Amino acid sequence: MSEVTQLAESLHPHEVKVLRAFDASKDDDFCTEEDLAKRSGLEVAQVGSALGRLQVKGLTRIGSRLPRTEVSLTETGQRYFQRYTPIVRIISALKKASDTGAQLTIKDIQTREKLDSSEISEAIGELKQEGVVRIAAGGIVELTGTSSTTAESLQKLIRLLHEGTKPLLDFTPSEQTLIKKFSQKRGKPNEPFRVDERESRRFGLTETGKVVVQQILKEGTRDEITLLTPEMLKDGSWRNKRFRKYTISLQPARIVAGKKHPYREFLDLVKAKLVSMGFEEMRGGLIENEFWNMDALFMPQFHPARETHDVYFVKEPRLSAPIPEPFLSQVAGAHEHGGHTGSSGWGYTFDRMRTRRLVLRSQGTAVSARTLAATPHVPGKYFSIARCFRYDQVDATHAPDFFQIEGIVLGPDINFRTLLGLLTLFAREVAQAQEIRFAPAYFPFTEPSVEVHVRHPRLGWIELGGAGLFRPEVRLPLSVEVPVIAWGLGLDRMAMVALDIHDIRDLFSADLEMIRSKRVQY
Amino acid sequence: MPTISVNRKDLDKLLGRPATDKELEAWLPLVKGEIKEVEAATGEIRLELQDSNRPDLWCVEGIARQIRIKLNGRPDSYPYLRTAKGRLDQILVEQGLERVRPFIGGCKVRGYKIAAEGLTQLIQTQEKLADIFGRKRRTVSIGLYRLPSIKFPVTYALADPDRTRFRPLGYTEPMSLREILEIHPKGLEYGGLLSGHDQVPLLRDAKGAVLSFPPIINSRDVGEVQVSDADLFIEVTGMDLRMVMLAVNILAANLHDRGASIEPVEVVYPYKTAYGRTVRMPQAFSKPRAIKLSDISTALGDAFSLKDVRASLASYGYTVTGSGSRLLVSLPSYRSDLMHTVDVIEDVAISRGYNTFGPIMPATFTVGGLSRIEQLSDKVRELMLGFGFQEIVSNILSARVDLIHRMRLPDGHPEARCVEIDNVMSQSYECLRQWVLPSLLRVESASSRSFYPHFLFELGEVVVPDPQAETGTRSEVRLGALLAHANANFSEAHSFLDLLCFYLGWAYTLTPTDHPSFLEGRVGRVERDGNVVGLIGELHPEVLERWQITMPCSAFEQVIDLPSKPQS
Repeated sequence: MSEVTQLAESLHPHEVKVLRAFDASKDDDFCTEEDLAKRSGLEVAQVGSALGRLQVKGLTRIGSRLPRTEVSLTETGQRYFQRYTPIVRIISALKKASDTGAQLTIKDIQTREKLDSSEISEAIGELKQEGVVRIAAGGIVELTGTSSTTAESLQKLIRLLHEGTKPLLDFTPSEQTLIKKFSQKRGKPNEPFRVDERESRRFGLTETGKVVVQQILKEGTRDEITLLTPEMLKDGSWRNKRFRKYTISLQPARIVAGKKHPYREFLDLVKAKLVSMGFEEMRGGLIENEFWNMDALFMPQFHPARETHDVYFVKEPRLSAPIPEPFLSQVAGAHEHGGHTGSSGWGYTFDRMRTRRLVLRSQGTAVSARTLAATPHVPGKYFSIARCFRYDQVDATHAPDFFQIEGIVLGPDINFRTLLGLLTLFAREVAQAQEIRFAPAYFPFTEPSVEVHVRHPRLGWIELGGAGLFRPEVRLPLSVEVPVIAWGLGLDRMAMVALDIHDIRDLFSADLEMIRSKRVQY
Repeated sequence: MPTISVNRKDLDKLLGRPATDKELEAWLPLVKGEIKEVEAATGEIRLELQDSNRPDLWCVEGIARQIRIKLNGRPDSYPYLRTAKGRLDQILVEQGLERVRPFIGGCKVRGYKIAAEGLTQLIQTQEKLADIFGRKRRTVSIGLYRLPSIKFPVTYALADPDRTRFRPLGYTEPMSLREILEIHPKGLEYGGLLSGHDQVPLLRDAKGAVLSFPPIINSRDVGEVQVSDADLFIEVTGMDLRMVMLAVNILAANLHDRGASIEPVEVVYPYKTAYGRTVRMPQAFSKPRAIKLSDISTALGDAFSLKDVRASLASYGYTVTGSGSRLLVSLPSYRSDLMHTVDVIEDVAISRGYNTFGPIMPATFTVGGLSRIEQLSDKVRELMLGFGFQEIVSNILSARVDLIHRMRLPDGHPEARCVEIDNVMSQSYECLRQWVLPSLLRVESASSRSFYPHFLFELGEVVVPDPQAETGTRSEVRLGALLAHANANFSEAHSFLDLLCFYLGWAYTLTPTDHPSFLEGRVGRVERDGNVVGLIGELHPEVLERWQITMPCSAFEQVIDLPSKPQS
């Protein structure tokens, strides 16, 4: 198939109509969009867009550009169309007043007709100049009896232009003067008319265009169709049809589709990794009592992280149900004097009532503590992705609530080196890091405690998480005899990189456009 | 976690030699420290110290000491801890203080010409100890004085706030104790610690001159230490004797490390204490602890010999005696954080270096899996995604106005009850959401310029009051779905709800109801197994107006996890 035939066959029906609207018998037929619209029977806008595409395809070209002056109505003009011009309204107000014998000042008219001070002063000035009104003693405005030609002409122009933009040259010289007088310009923004210098373009066929037109004329009115219909398939008539070829390089239209939230997608990946490593999920409530949130984790009741500037307390109700035994007494014993844990304890009087005070869960470890007390599997591995709350000023690095990814590993063989092994596994699997460094850390509920730093492929050295062996003062009062690893991963920074955001609050953004357009780069 | 400021030159001086950046970085794990900031021009380093049980490390002297011990392989010696002959100067405690602020301790410091950096560090240490360790002076507060102005014995007694006057720091005129509590900035800041007491603590010397009004303010006359002062008196008051003794021991060790000589004092109590009626300070008050060698090896997963452990602990400041498989270890005087064998075990590991331990990869077989509710949640999410809905994740903390007022719920409406925070920080986050729909409207409200239609869903947690539940509240997992476009209506939402329930195998019924958030006659309650589990309807135009939404919306919301029925 020749290039010309290919081109001809890929044309949209509107494009064919426009091409055929050119007079191919003339050597150079230059037409405006309006000419082509008349000849083809299409709308001017349809011609415009067809011409745009034809020009891209190299079939038409711009033959000439002629300057053209156009007049249109401004917003003020549109308003005057609805409610008449100030001049007309002043005259009719004065007529009505003289019928009832009332006398009006400029101020009265302005209030009555709700006109701007600039509008009324300009209109009165115009009317005085025309001799239609005069100002009598006491500022009273009176009609002289002369009729206003300006009022009538203006009203007519507004009506005409309301139908649409018109070339200035379509108007009589006196109308043109009036239009210019009442058109928007610098310092006069509230006039009814607007005069714009536009360009009038004429289009013609290119050499290729002429060949294509010949081709189209030669093909005649071939039965070319856009859509295959069920009827054509039923009766087999598709066999006699020609299908118009599409230009497939055009940008497609946008569609709405279902999509995971990008942060959730990231968390799903982490969740899948943990399950693949043999971790069972554990869950807990958003509201906890101080017992599971702190006491069971051997955080002394005077610990600074338990005060109102660190934890959110619940207003109502204030207390949970009593803490079940033997856990309450065993934990109280561990705090006071060590109990049966081999510890000397914190050495203070443990407040049993305080254990019931309700708080917003401040650490995912609360979920681990409950799991320990609920006869977990031994050996066992657990994780949770828990929403937590801290009393913090919300800013680019602090969200009002956030997810903590953490868990426990129980087993008779657990020791410091297996703890480091688990962290090495996390570093490889979750952060895809090969280089790892361990550093001593401090958590109230673990000893030894460790922090793991990894060299992330894109971020360099980052802290991946903290972990440790639960203190005997934590696990023994909850009736767990084997050593337990407690671990937590700080993945927010990795999530932010995966989502390409720089403000942690954007993980919970309300901006749908942003949520829809994010791709997770994990 | 305290953050302190350290001068590099000062640190080098205390270490005994200049340290390179690389060395410093390698040593910081010994003190669980992390560099936050370095100002190259001034040599100032901002350090964060992690261990809240090691207040001795919250100062340059303590950090340098821990590193120095490592380099020397053995602890420094502190001669003032040995019982000396001869009479000691005394602090006499009077009756009644056991009800107000029972404990006091102190020591004398001689021959230390305070330089500017030393004074800055001394004040920083005093502040960190009183602020963090002493919980804003509640349990421990510290006073520093010019020793030559004081005649011993010093008396720690109760005083009438109206009858006693002295010149406090920062003022030129004498003030009564009551005036100090009512006018002086420190009185206003710390006065609350003495509320409820008619008589307040006062420290005076043998001439009757006031040293200070603990824990509020020092006297300007004897309690204003300056650069070039050579002899000092240090005093600590508090609520817990061990904490008071530890604070004295830390300050004494710090000044000793800077070349001062420390002279102990004797505190004489009229009441019994855990350390008797006469307590010498500073004193090494830690009892030795017996540890089995095998416990260390088992916990760390490496075979440790007696020699290994001795070397590790001695180079971390411990005194180690004992033989065979049993060791007797004691902490240095400036530490009091040994509660359990595991605390010693961590120090063994830190001293040897965490990175000298070979990781053992997990070999135990366990079966991974998701909870029932998470599996169900994932299934619901998958269906909603397939229906063409965009998933949303929102914060759970919310503003009452969003959850209740903007939803047209009158106060007292059963669904207007939500769990509120007692210590609210910001009105925007004052309560926990009791339903998901407001979170979705928040997104819609912010997204009018995003391409329509909007089909949004969130599967997330909410909290509702429940007097029957353990915590008086119930965390529920709910699905909320919002449809926003020019023709959004009830039946479209109904179609999605119906299809969802079909695939989940949930038999549900819709009952017409009234709900202020929805248009009358276009809202229903969703019921499953005889429980009301949710709502479906067209959002009331007034709700949309209150959210400044100009697109019609329909929605449904339902609980995913029904309370499980007892197993039959």
